[in-house]
Amino acid sequence: MDKTIKEPYLKRAMFLTDKGYKDLKKAIFACTITNFSMFIPATVMLLAIMEIVKPFSNETISWSKLWILFGVGILGTIVVFFCNKNDYQKTYVASYLESKNTRISLAEHIRKLPMSLFNSKDLTELTTNMMGDVETSEHVLSHVYPQLLANGISVTIICVMLAFYDWRMALAVFISVPVALFIIVASRKIQQFLGKRHAKAKLEASGQVQEYIEGIKVIKACNLDGEKADKLNLALLKMKKLAIQTELGSGIFVSSAQIVLQAGIGLTIFVGTTLLSRGQIELIPLLAFLLIVTRIYGPINVELQLLPELFYHQIAIKRMRTLMDYLPMEGEKTPINSYDIKFEQVDFSYNKGKEKTIKSISTTISANSVTALVGPSGSGKSTLSRLVARFWDVDQGKISIGDVDIKNLDPEHLMGYMSFVFQDVVLFNDTIYNNIKIGNMNATEEEVVAAAKAARCEEFISKLPNGYSTLLGENGNTLSGGERQRLSIARALLKNAPIVLLDEATASLDPESEEYIQQAIGELIRGKTVIVIAHKLRTIARADKIIVLDKGEIVEEGTHDFLIQKKGLYHRLYTIQQESMGWSV
Amino acid sequence: MEDSKKAYKTGMPRLLELAATKKPLVIASVIFSSLAAIASFIPYIAIYFVIREILVVWPDFTSLNVSELMKYAYMALGGMAINVLLYMTALMCSHIAAFGTLYELKINFSSHLAKVPLGFHVMIGSGKLRKITDENIEKIEQFIAHQLPDIVAAFVAPVVMVILLLVVDWRFGLAAILGIIIAFAMQMLFYGKDGAKLMMAKYQTSLENMNNASVEYIRGISVVKAYKQTVYSFQSLHKTIKEYTDMVIPYTLSWENPMSMYTTLINNIYLFILPVGILIGMYAFDYTKYAVTFIFYLIFVPSIASILMKVLYVNSDVTRIFNGVEAMDKILAEPELEQPKNPKTTSSFSVEFKDVEFSYKKEEDRKALDKVNFQANQGEVTAIVGPSGSGKSTIAHLTPRFFDVDCGKILIGGVDVKDFTSSYLMEKVSFVFQDVFLFKQSIYDNIAMGNPKATKEEIENAAKAAQCHEFIEKLPDGYHTIIGTKGVHLSGGEQQRLAIARAIVKNAPIVVLDEATAFADPENEHLIQKAFETLMKHKTVIIIAHRLSTVRNANKIVVMDNGRVVEEGNHDELVAKEGKYATMWKTYNTTSSWVMNDKEV
Repeated sequence: MDKTIKEPYLKRAMFLTDKGYKDLKKAIFACTITNFSMFIPATVMLLAIMEIVKPFSNETISWSKLWILFGVGILGTIVVFFCNKNDYQKTYVASYLESKNTRISLAEHIRKLPMSLFNSKDLTELTTNMMGDVETSEHVLSHVYPQLLANGISVTIICVMLAFYDWRMALAVFISVPVALFIIVASRKIQQFLGKRHAKAKLEASGQVQEYIEGIKVIKACNLDGEKADKLNLALLKMKKLAIQTELGSGIFVSSAQIVLQAGIGLTIFVGTTLLSRGQIELIPLLAFLLIVTRIYGPINVELQLLPELFYHQIAIKRMRTLMDYLPMEGEKTPINSYDIKFEQVDFSYNKGKEKTIKSISTTISANSVTALVGPSGSGKSTLSRLVARFWDVDQGKISIGDVDIKNLDPEHLMGYMSFVFQDVVLFNDTIYNNIKIGNMNATEEEVVAAAKAARCEEFISKLPNGYSTLLGENGNTLSGGERQRLSIARALLKNAPIVLLDEATASLDPESEEYIQQAIGELIRGKTVIVIAHKLRTIARADKIIVLDKGEIVEEGTHDFLIQKKGLYHRLYTIQQESMGWSV
Repeated sequence: MEDSKKAYKTGMPRLLELAATKKPLVIASVIFSSLAAIASFIPYIAIYFVIREILVVWPDFTSLNVSELMKYAYMALGGMAINVLLYMTALMCSHIAAFGTLYELKINFSSHLAKVPLGFHVMIGSGKLRKITDENIEKIEQFIAHQLPDIVAAFVAPVVMVILLLVVDWRFGLAAILGIIIAFAMQMLFYGKDGAKLMMAKYQTSLENMNNASVEYIRGISVVKAYKQTVYSFQSLHKTIKEYTDMVIPYTLSWENPMSMYTTLINNIYLFILPVGILIGMYAFDYTKYAVTFIFYLIFVPSIASILMKVLYVNSDVTRIFNGVEAMDKILAEPELEQPKNPKTTSSFSVEFKDVEFSYKKEEDRKALDKVNFQANQGEVTAIVGPSGSGKSTIAHLTPRFFDVDCGKILIGGVDVKDFTSSYLMEKVSFVFQDVFLFKQSIYDNIAMGNPKATKEEIENAAKAAQCHEFIEKLPDGYHTIIGTKGVHLSGGEQQRLAIARAIVKNAPIVVLDEATAFADPENEHLIQKAFETLMKHKTVIIIAHRLSTVRNANKIVVMDNGRVVEEGNHDELVAKEGKYATMWKTYNTTSSWVMNDKEV
């Protein structure tokens, strides 16, 4: 396994590609050089000071030497300028290129993930944050890390060098760095501890706010304004109290860390002066230390300000990594020649070890027939139909289509044999025409129009201002539920796949709309192997086979007439439904 | 109506106005933070005196005034300590002020939400409102607690710095300030160019395009996978990613020279001091004083960079807070539901719509209801039917005054609904819509909400009538089961029935119902219908029907189309009339007898 080869820490922690890691190292190096280039001005200054104090020890000051130093200083700016330019290129450009690659590889990866994941909640959370996460990462890689690490390196080097010269002074200069860092780390720990109570209060308050807003109709209807407002008030008050406690207990120390850092200036003056008064340090070295101390905290301070971003970045990286850890489904592109679907002792549960959603199901769905799945809600109808399309792999048993185990099939290849008409219709921010054409990108214009006609879409498309070229808004929310449904049927018709998975709409539409959909479905299923999840039992009375599910198991199967005579669950459901269909106020 | 909307200030003035809720604390924090900024210069002043003390005697340390020197050493140390303490005090004040303000804003916001017409909630959705309380208002904390004291300090510091620069020796001071001005002028010059603004706009657009494309990509991925089109949709995302990168790199590079120049300059301001120092020194009378001053400036000047950097960093995030406040103010500006000056009551409960006109958005031409007239008689069932978008639900919303009508009147027992107090009207009208809401309280409490005075027996009877009793008894703690706790999962149908039980307990004389549009499973549907039967008994009922068979026996059927009443009568009358209803009925019968069949067409 390659995985055992340990990747460099930085590369792993920062979720970098090989090139990105190399570039980061280059950027750190460039920034370190820039940091050291800043010592050119400091050295020139020190030399100037040494010249200026000469008259005090009865030497003569050389003004021309000072002018030369000035000239050297000017030349120094050119060096500083080019160092800056160099690190600018190394950090910014490299991190933008790296982010581009990360974006593309994330998107590439996502498209290979199994279908099932796209309905799960955690994936939604991961993907909605995807682009934002890369942006955070981009910013941190360009603005924070190279500078931070370079500062760490240069500060350490300077610290060691100065310590050789005078450890007491070096200590005075640098002691505030670990102190400031300690304050940040320690108060973060305290904050986490205090923060737990705070977070709980926050959650509680936010829950109350949610109840108040979502329940406002009930609150009004039951005249509960006072009582509920009191509860909300209490929760908000508690949150306020704990927020203040948390912040005063730890938060403000974090914010003060910067100031603590700069306290090093005062400390250096104090220690230097004390040593000088005891004759333990010379004036010139003291001034040198003062020159260093006034310029060393600035860059560190800027990084401290960006520290919260680093914490946020860690979360972003964790999310990206989780996303990349999802494994894509793989398989062969074996051609399927016949469409009999066979279930053999199929077990399935959404969470391993949890209750099974599908329990040892064995049955056969014959090619070119209509098979209906029936049962109370939660009986496993939808799960079973989606298993056929390999949204998930079964835990045990086997599903095969025309004797090919679908576990060995490439999911995208398998999709080629199937059409879906589910209730949640996804439409794109594109024209009606292109939305239908998704069904088959090779279709001609005539074919697209024919599919639209067959799916009874002409009726509403012709009423739209630009007909087929009408742009749908985001997710086509200008269309009614029935119209969206028909568009998705048109897509499926265009695809003309041999197997059709159908989820009968549960929402009742107005009769006219419903009639159109029924006609469209009639077109779609002709001559196909059809699996339909039925809600209105009357609809599937003439299906070739009805499979009745309850709690994940098949309780009975057969034709309508057979099941009615059997007087089992199907009979009961059917009778109740007929009764409620006839109910009137 | 429009001018009754409150107008709020925007941007910084509005933020300051919000911060002023806790004025004394905010002012205290600003003052402490300014003092802290001033104190941060004390060590530099100490440096000046230390150097002076030393140079006076140098190189002969025997005559060094040690006690005087140590005084300045302590001054440096003390200045720093004071700086830290003052800054922390400032933060304490600002945090207390911030959380106090947050609390008040949230209370203010939520009490406003209770006063706006309920229809407002129907239109705007709870997600947005929650975002405002949980996120937008929360951001104001950042401003009051951190940004306000920091902004003030960031501006006080340069002022003190300039004063200090000029007071010690104005010639050196001017030279240093000249350097600073040149550094900033170069930045401004570049930033002020139209090109920069244009680039910024382009950058924003391409960033937005990329983010939109990725949202679309992920949203549609299940479809494109189903149709084997992932490459196609991936390509469009790929394109925007490339465009963004192609845009952002030249944009960044365009800053390369000015930024590098700026950093170089700000770190080399001593080069402005140096020639001035040489020129002054060549003709100095008091050499010691000159040397002390010169050295002081050389040591002090590098700090200028970090002090000024703070100004650049401090302002960054205020626009996001502005937007959040704006979102809150927009809601706060919504007019509250007007309450009558002389509230009336009624003892009869017919409902009458009289020439009612209503549209959801005032600027829209299409009216949701257009001259609607009908009467729902007391104790009878009046059904509203019609295609989707015909105005059925609007009628349901207007009856309990979720919105006020634009024209015409809605009367209950002959009294305009605007003449009742809100609480009175709510007492008299029950409504059961599809968006059921249950509180995280016990099932018992959730039902009892309908009528706090109800006895235990009444609650149980209502639950039985609403077909809830059976499933409640099966729950771990029966009626005392808390909703939303682990392991308690209620199906949509069960929740619906609990809401009906609540309405039964409330026992209001008028009931507005929206027949569920979703097919619950057959058993649930049957139970809901039974629950409805009890709820409707002896009441004035307005029912929004989706399935025509449901309303066959209604006393009156009002047929809506395009916001107008097109027909009215009972089922038989309407079928005989052979109008809109008759057509709908015919279609209904065909669709409900449709059978899926793949063999013959």
